[in-house]
This record gives sequence, C-alpha cells and structure tokens, in this order.
Amino acid sequence: MRIIVGMKWVPGTTSVRIDPKTGTLIREGVPSIVNPHDMPAIELALQLKDAYGGEVIALTMSPPPAIRGLEYLIGMGVDRAILVSDRVYAGADTLATSYVLAKAIEKIDKEIGKVDLVVFGQETIDSSTAHIGAQTASWLDWPYIYYAHSAKLIDNNKILVERVLENAIEDWEVDLPAVIATHMKALKPRPVRLLNKIRYKVEKPLTTWTNNELKLDPRCTGLKGSPTIVAKTVDVPEVPRKKVIYTPKDGEDAAKWLIKTLMEDEKASKALIKALKEGGGK
Amino acid sequence: MSTSTQSSEKKKEEKPMKLEDILQSDIWNVDEDPHIIVDYNKCGNCKTKPCVYLCPAGCYVLSDNGIVFSYEGCVECGTCRVICPLEAITWNYPKSGKGIFYRFT
Amino acid sequence: MNGLPDLPTKFDVIIVGAGPSGSSAAYLLAKKGFKVLLIERGRGLGDKNLYGGRVYAPPIREVWPQLDKEAPIQRWVTKERISMVQGDKAITFEYKAEKKISFVSYLTQLTQWMSKKAEDAGALFVTEVTIDEIVMKDGKAVGVRSGPDFIEADVVVDAEGVNRLLLERLGIVERLKPDNIALGVKEILKVGANNIESSFNLNPDEGVAWVIMGDITKGLPGGGFIYTNKDSISMGLVLHLKHSIDFIQNGKFDEHVSKLIEEFRFHPYFKPYWKDAIISEYGAHLTIEGATHFMPQKFAYPGLLIVGDAAGLLLSTGYTFRGVDYAVYSGKLAAEAVEFARNNGGFTYENLQIYDKNVRSSFMYNELFKHRGAEQLMNDPILMSKYPSILIKVMEKMFEGEYKQETVYDALMQALKEEKVGPFDLISQAFGLVKSI
Repeated sequence: MRIIVGMKWVPGTTSVRIDPKTGTLIREGVPSIVNPHDMPAIELALQLKDAYGGEVIALTMSPPPAIRGLEYLIGMGVDRAILVSDRVYAGADTLATSYVLAKAIEKIDKEIGKVDLVVFGQETIDSSTAHIGAQTASWLDWPYIYYAHSAKLIDNNKILVERVLENAIEDWEVDLPAVIATHMKALKPRPVRLLNKIRYKVEKPLTTWTNNELKLDPRCTGLKGSPTIVAKTVDVPEVPRKKVIYTPKDGEDAAKWLIKTLMEDEKASKALIKALKEGGGK
Repeated sequence: MSTSTQSSEKKKEEKPMKLEDILQSDIWNVDEDPHIIVDYNKCGNCKTKPCVYLCPAGCYVLSDNGIVFSYEGCVECGTCRVICPLEAITWNYPKSGKGIFYRFT
Repeated sequence: MNGLPDLPTKFDVIIVGAGPSGSSAAYLLAKKGFKVLLIERGRGLGDKNLYGGRVYAPPIREVWPQLDKEAPIQRWVTKERISMVQGDKAITFEYKAEKKISFVSYLTQLTQWMSKKAEDAGALFVTEVTIDEIVMKDGKAVGVRSGPDFIEADVVVDAEGVNRLLLERLGIVERLKPDNIALGVKEILKVGANNIESSFNLNPDEGVAWVIMGDITKGLPGGGFIYTNKDSISMGLVLHLKHSIDFIQNGKFDEHVSKLIEEFRFHPYFKPYWKDAIISEYGAHLTIEGATHFMPQKFAYPGLLIVGDAAGLLLSTGYTFRGVDYAVYSGKLAAEAVEFARNNGGFTYENLQIYDKNVRSSFMYNELFKHRGAEQLMNDPILMSKYPSILIKVMEKMFEGEYKQETVYDALMQALKEEKVGPFDLISQAFGLVKSI
C-alpha cells in the first residue's frame, strides 16, 4: 500500500500565553508542533504499513520550518516526506490548500507510484475547520470517510473503516483509492525511534516541491485562490478558572460531589439545569 | 482595551503570583504517557511529604485522601525522585522530545 | 531491525546528552575524524538546559577559541555583588573587576551554539531520543539502547547530566540522595537593556553577578542569585535539599518553594531592579553541592567515560558556581583520551584510563578538593543565619541609632552577645569558613 499522510505545522496553542498587562496573546518564542490531531492519522498510516507493507509518505504545504515536523514524522517511521512550499501558496484558506494538496497527491500518484490511501487528522488545533480531508477528496473525486478509528484491507482494493460516533459504531467498505480522516482520539501515536532519526540524518528522505514542480495556476492558490474572508478577529479574554481537587471514594461519590459543587455555583447551576431540561431530564 | 482593565491588571502584578500563574510563562509539549509514576501505596505512609513543598512545578498536591499527582506541568528537574523518603517515585525523562521547552534559561 | 540495512549502526563514539560537556566532546572528536553519534533527548538544541546564569570563560576557550567573538554572550560580568539580607535590611559588597573572566548567557543558547558546531564538524546529531540503557557486554560498554533500537560504539561518553538515570541503572552510582544535591529555581524577568544599564550602573556589554545570603530563603540553607542578561534579569534561589527536608520534617517550613522565589521578587531591596517586569520563563534544575561525595568512583570504565555534571564536576562554594566550564573541560579531556586510545593501539580500558588520570590531575579536581566542605559550611543553618544576622545587627547599631551611635567595637560585641556567639567562636568559625570557600 502507498499511503499519504497529511501534516500541519501549527503553533503549540497549549503554550500560548497572555500578557497580563495588555491582555493580548504573547506569540514570541512560541514553538510550533505537529498538529496533535494529525497524530492518530500518522499512527493509522504506520499501522497499515506494518500490516500490509508498502510505504508512508508525509505531505505538508507550509513554509520551510515545517521540515522539523516532517523530521518528527520520519522519526516515528514515515518513509519519506514532501514539503510543498512556495510564496504563491501563502495566505491560503482551506479551499486553496486542499487544491494544492490534491495536485501534489496526483503528482505522487503519477510519478512516484499509485496512491492507495490518503489519511488526514480530524482537524487542526489552530483553525479547527475540519475541511481539508473532505475538500481534498472532492478535488480528487475519491470517496471520503471521517471520524475513522481503524481501518483494514479487505481485499486488494477495498478497505473496511470503522467510524465511532456518539451513539453508533459504523463499518464502511470503501473502494481504494480513498481519503479518510481519523477521529482525534482514535489512536495513540508511537514514540520517535533512534534508528529512524539516524535514517533521517543519513538519508535525508525529504523532497521540496515549489510551484516550478507543481505548475499550478497562481490564481487558484494562496491568497488569490482563497474565497474565505476573515472579517474580524477577537481575542477572547482569559477567564479565571477555579481549581478544586476532590478524591472520591467511588464513581457514585464523584458524581454526587460534582453535582453538589456545580449546584452551589450560580452560573454553573443554571447551565446544568438548562442542559438537563434540554436532555429530557435524563 | 479599556483603562480600567489595565489598572486592575496592573494591580494583579503588584503582588506575588500564584504558582499556576507563574507556570503560564512556560511551554510544554505534553507526552501522551506519564514519565513519572507514583506508587500511592507507599505514599500513604509518608508523614513528611516533601514533594508537596519542594516540587517547583507543584505537581504534587495534598488532598483529603493523600497526594494527587499530575505530570503535565513537570519541569523535569528530578527533585521529587531525590527527596521522596519512601522511594515511591519511578522517574524517567519524557520520550520523543516531549515535555518542558526552555527558551531563555 | 528496521528493514534498513544501509544505516550505520556502529559508531566510534556515542555521546549521550548534548549539553556543554557532550557537545564539546562531540565537536572535538568529529573534528579529529571520529565517527560520532551525539544523542539529545530534547526536541531542539538546548531545550532542556537550565542553570543559574554565569559561565567562566578561560577553560571554555581551550575548546572554543572563537567563544568571545561568536558565542551568544549576553554580558561580561564586571561587577560582583554579595548581599546579606535580614528582613528588609541588607548589606551589600560590590567589587568592580577589571578582567573579563566570566559572562552571563542563556544556557539554552550557549548549548545550541555548541551542538550546532559539533554537527557542522561532522558529528551525527540526533534529537528527540531518550536513551534507556548503556549496554554492557562482558563488563564493557558496547553501545546504547533506546526502545527497541541498539546502536554499537567503541566508546560511550555519558554526558547525561545531574540526574544519572543511566549510571544508576548500570549500578555504577547509587540512587541520587538529597545530601549532596540542591534545587535551583529561577525566573527570567524582562526588564529592558536600558533599565539594566541605568539601575546597575553598567556599560552596554557589562553585567552583574550577585549572590544573596541570609533569610532570603526563609532560613532554608541556600541562597539567592541575580544575573543580568542583555535585556532581562535571571534571578532565583538555590536550596539544599537534605536540609530543606529536615526543615519540613521539623515543621519549620510549610510553604511551597515558588512562594519563596516570589517573595524574593517582591523584596523591597531587590524589587526596584525589575519593578513589575513580567516573568518570561520559570524553571528549575538540580545542582551538585559537595562534588567530592557525588563523583562516581572512577571517571573511566571499560568502554565508558563520564563527563560534566554526571561526573560530579561542578564547583559550588556558596559565592561561585562553576559547572559549564568544568563540563566543557571534561568533554575536552574525554575527547583527548579517545584520541589517545586510537593512537595507542585501540579503545582498551587501559588506554581509556588516561581520562580518569587526567581528570584527577586537572585544575577541576584540585579545586573541588580544595573547596570541599565549603558547601557544608555554607549550608550550615546556624552559621548561615547567624553571621548575616550579626553583621546586620552591627550595621543597625552603627547607622540606625536615633540619638546614640555605637562604636564599631561596641556594636560588634553587642551583636555577638545578642546572637549568643563568643568572640573566639567567631574567630575560629570565620577562619574555617575563609579556609574552605
């Protein structure tokens, strides 16, 4: 199987801090990380490779610092990585991004070898649109399954994908090639391995494609190819949080304590009663 | 931002900060697995509980039923392992480059 | 193993830890053409490094002659200050030095600079990998293991730092005890370069190293420090762990350590230097006090050399702390030993033992033994609270008399009496102190 896995290099939002004087976000020195929701996708791709052989190629459209993220993925066991990077791709919304990704996937399919599966994460932590998987599948005209928890090959060109929803588990048979997006809690990623990191340093299995290679119409990429308009952004002020630690005797005790504590708080009790009413008092 | 908020923020700055606010200045990429394991059975017999006072990241909190430990905010100094009188702490470094991320120190 | 038969799985030297000692050894060995693998657990270079703030340059220049020109130096220390504090009262000595012996730097940046150079010199540098084990075969170190992966080497250099997990697992050293360990807690306060230069009265590239004794630690044995970076101040506390545990046990300390550093930040004598600057970073690290007790029995074992903090090579006298330069220098000695072994017939234990010998005949070893006992005195709760207290009382009687002013002699005698210290005790204890620190 040849599997492509998408990755986004995002600012680590758990590390975004608020300047106590101005109340605005401090961005200085905030390191970027591999989008955490991409991790289950990478793990799924690697598990499929472990089971059926083949190769996993990581793909990202990003400025060059994302190479650090691709290195991490190769450290986990991804075979090689492709960075798609060009000034004309800058400022892209999800439509223009998915267009470039789809074209890169087509190029891989044509030049490197037949692509069987593309795996994305559920969404990114910095924009949370969850568009990329669906849009890329649309450009490619391939089937798309999201909230995937696991997948297995059922014959040479079909996979069985398990989706776990709130109240149901669904199994879908899908013809390959296909695009799937994993649920953010689907799989725990494997750690980085020493041998893989040595391989990264020795072999540098990393390719960069600019628009010289992809040859896309610049009107369809970057800011120009992006119909989305960001009208306004508002920094949400930090809400002071109360922290209480309670060690319950058992589950029942925990539930009783939680409800009692929430009911003592004016705002929380209102929200709780509203939620209970809407939920039919269950 | 209105001036009134600014002055109230400033007031907040004029007294020592709580640890959880100080820790806001730090950056982590938290590992999926805890790198420190506490043996609570041993913990129960500990009278001194130096970890509660000396863990600089406040990972050890005293509750009604003993120590509550969380590894997420650990700064990886190793103090808890050294001071634990009952050697109840199994201590490792986080894997895959995870954990605290110093920039200026 | 990984379906990757072409990969190198054997190196001349594997170095565990890319701090100052590991990076220096890697740099020197790579320059000499050794096949070196440098392994760091942090994601980026320097991510996991933290120390007080000051570095002594001369031993480092022996490895890094380009230090003064190229290294990320924040400020050269030209002023030394020592303060004794009691409550809001303080006595401060200041010494204006002439030579540029030490500088202030962010250790994150300094090790970044060093490990980048090591990589440029040809060392294979791998980050984000934690080593689980130094692998021994027939009593000799033959490589390292991380998860399922084993990589072989002729020599393993252990530069893992103060938390010697690998050496403990090998049984070479005992489990770390609080007796010879102190906890350093540190805050970086963004102040602005102009503010630093005007408040400390400094020229643009000059800096201050400031040691604080007395009850800044609320009686816990230890002290405070302040170092000036370019546009920020590093400040914090060092607390002796064994004594701190005793204090907690005896009910003499029941606060969180972060409260101590915050009270230091808001101490009326020090606060004007940073006013209400925001905290850019908060961190902590262990440091060695009593290096001679902390050292492993040997610095060289078959196939294994131990450098830097892991080797206990850190000098703490109470007013100076030298770890980075010792680390770099031990990295140099380790690299030289590996080269010696290669030139003399192979990496046998007999050949590698020259490292052990060279550490023991180095200035570091000499200094560590000369100052041994200093940390005991500096951490003696009685001594370290009494002396500042006596001095402060003398000053108080000399300068704060509303009508009456004491002579120095009377002030001293009264202060000694109040603190229940006889004049002869004072002389003999002071002599002991002066002799070792």
